[in-house]
Amino acid sequence: MAEASLARVTKRFGETLAVDNADLTVANGEFMVLLGPTGAGKTTLLRLIAGLETPDSGKVTIGGSDVTVLAPAMRDVAFVFQQYSLYPHYTVFENLAFPLRAPGRRMGEQAIRKRVSEIAEMLRIGHKLKNKATQLSGGEMQRVSIGRALVREPNVFLMDEPLSSLDAKLREDLRVELKRIQRDLGATIVYVTHDQLEAMTLADRIGILDKGKLVQVDEPRTIYERPATVYAAQRLGSPQINLLPAGRLGLTPGNANAITAGVRPEDVEVGTPSGFDARVIAVERRGAEMIALLEVDGGQQVHALLDAHRPVGEGASLQIAVRPGAPVWFDGKQQLINA
Amino acid sequence: MTDQTIQRIASDTPDVAPRFVRRVRGLSDRAITWLFIGPTLAILLAINIFPLIWTVYLSFTNYRANQPGREVKWVGTRNYERLLGSEDIWGYLQATAHFVVWTMVLQVLVGFGLALLINRNFRGASFWTTLILIPMMLSPAVVGTFWTYIYQPQTGIFSYIIDFFAGTGAIDMIGSVTLAPWAIIIVDTWMWAPYIMLLCLAGLRSIPDYLYEAAEIDRANALQKFWYITLPRVLPFLMLAVLFRGIENFKMFDMVVELTSGGPGSTTELASINLKREAFEKWRTGFSSAFAIILFVTVFGLGNIYVKALNKVKS
Repeated sequence: MAEASLARVTKRFGETLAVDNADLTVANGEFMVLLGPTGAGKTTLLRLIAGLETPDSGKVTIGGSDVTVLAPAMRDVAFVFQQYSLYPHYTVFENLAFPLRAPGRRMGEQAIRKRVSEIAEMLRIGHKLKNKATQLSGGEMQRVSIGRALVREPNVFLMDEPLSSLDAKLREDLRVELKRIQRDLGATIVYVTHDQLEAMTLADRIGILDKGKLVQVDEPRTIYERPATVYAAQRLGSPQINLLPAGRLGLTPGNANAITAGVRPEDVEVGTPSGFDARVIAVERRGAEMIALLEVDGGQQVHALLDAHRPVGEGASLQIAVRPGAPVWFDGKQQLINA
Repeated sequence: MTDQTIQRIASDTPDVAPRFVRRVRGLSDRAITWLFIGPTLAILLAINIFPLIWTVYLSFTNYRANQPGREVKWVGTRNYERLLGSEDIWGYLQATAHFVVWTMVLQVLVGFGLALLINRNFRGASFWTTLILIPMMLSPAVVGTFWTYIYQPQTGIFSYIIDFFAGTGAIDMIGSVTLAPWAIIIVDTWMWAPYIMLLCLAGLRSIPDYLYEAAEIDRANALQKFWYITLPRVLPFLMLAVLFRGIENFKMFDMVVELTSGGPGSTTELASINLKREAFEKWRTGFSSAFAIILFVTVFGLGNIYVKALNKVKS
């Protein structure tokens, strides 16, 4: 395992600026998640580390050595693609053994057998080793893909939305497993996703990407509580953070530049004895909790996250307030104001 | 049109529609099915199935199509016995097998090779694709005729080029007993390798890049990438192309007749060329019917075995 870093890396595809002057250092044994919507440049960033793309400018280092112009094979990284990149005509065993048999890495047959069965057990596909890759279910195929990365103990694991093609239940299972395996192996992982839940649960640190720029790189909790920009604030949390103009709901900024307040839905208190009049427009029940969409006078809409047993029904009129100290403030350029 | 007329039409219309619907509904699903299938089935029976059965019948007789008044005698399996006992017939079948096997081998190599080149997407790749596809679009008779000029020992370019590089002197591809079978193989390969290329290209284009990228990261070399990714993915397409071309070449007639007329001697007399001679020059209709049946059974049998193999590869 090793650390990996990008230093002022830029990559264009024709007119499109895919990665814009990105600085990122992933520490040894760290689980880094790159989060952003489609087209934000997450995958390009990952492919730059892998060597599948060459940067227009900037430097890529892995384990302290400059690999900017090195071919993927020479970087000793493992890549898990969004689609299962298996050799369909070969068995699970052969697929898993393939990276170990590659030229320049030649391992003894005995050692290969041992390593493959270890990894297969870890991923719970030990009983499928003799099956052909095409006879597996989607979840099993993606496990084999991940397994193919794991057999090798590479410098860095790069994963491009590896769970996005799976159904919800499987995604949840594999997510937990992946985190466990990462801890057990002490693996350095760079993981790309657009799913904020995956990012929150897996990451040691999250890198938020917007149009090729790294907006914020921080621990999930920090980004959630102190987002560097409005964009970063909107990437984490479901339902999204409420953005309210200064002055609304009695929100008064301590700073003259502050014009927008970000209030998390769980910080909106509903049914308070005093506060602001609001009407419940819609209620969404999620099981343990519920989301209420409220309208304050003046047409401002606010989401609130409440316990499921709260007696709030659609059409009800009640009073709401924002928990004191909860709001984060942004200036005219949508940047966080440090209070 | 007055308002009354319009009203009358309006009130009449709903009556017309249900009556029509009722009549159509009167036909059962089964009847409608037959209404659709019937004509096709009738034509198929008339021009496909009936002649086949009639040929089977004729193959057991001494019928001659140029002597309609002659009494037709049932000769049992005598035609088949004579066919299978004839060394000439085995010679024609051997020539056919030689032709089919070698054209397929060469066309697969050339076609697949071209496909791999074109798939590199260099500048002007589509222009070259079009150019390469031209031979396939020509009429076989035309191809046969102009290759006789190319093969011409004194003035033809083929002989000139071979002589220029190998110093063999003038070579007569069509006149030589040993070279003539290869002459037709070369022309067929020139003409149809593009077809194999086209289908291989379809296969190559269907392979997603990330498979190669994954292999790249796993440190696979070019040979491994070909063996583990390219070949398995293209094989179904390739096998399908070989099936089509193999069946066509088993029945090869026009191009070879134009080029060599089966000669010299009978070295390039393929089964279907001999069949035509027996049927429409010697007018031995019964005998040639038996030959046709043997050819049909052979192609059908081999084709079926091949399709089984193809399905296995696909799964």
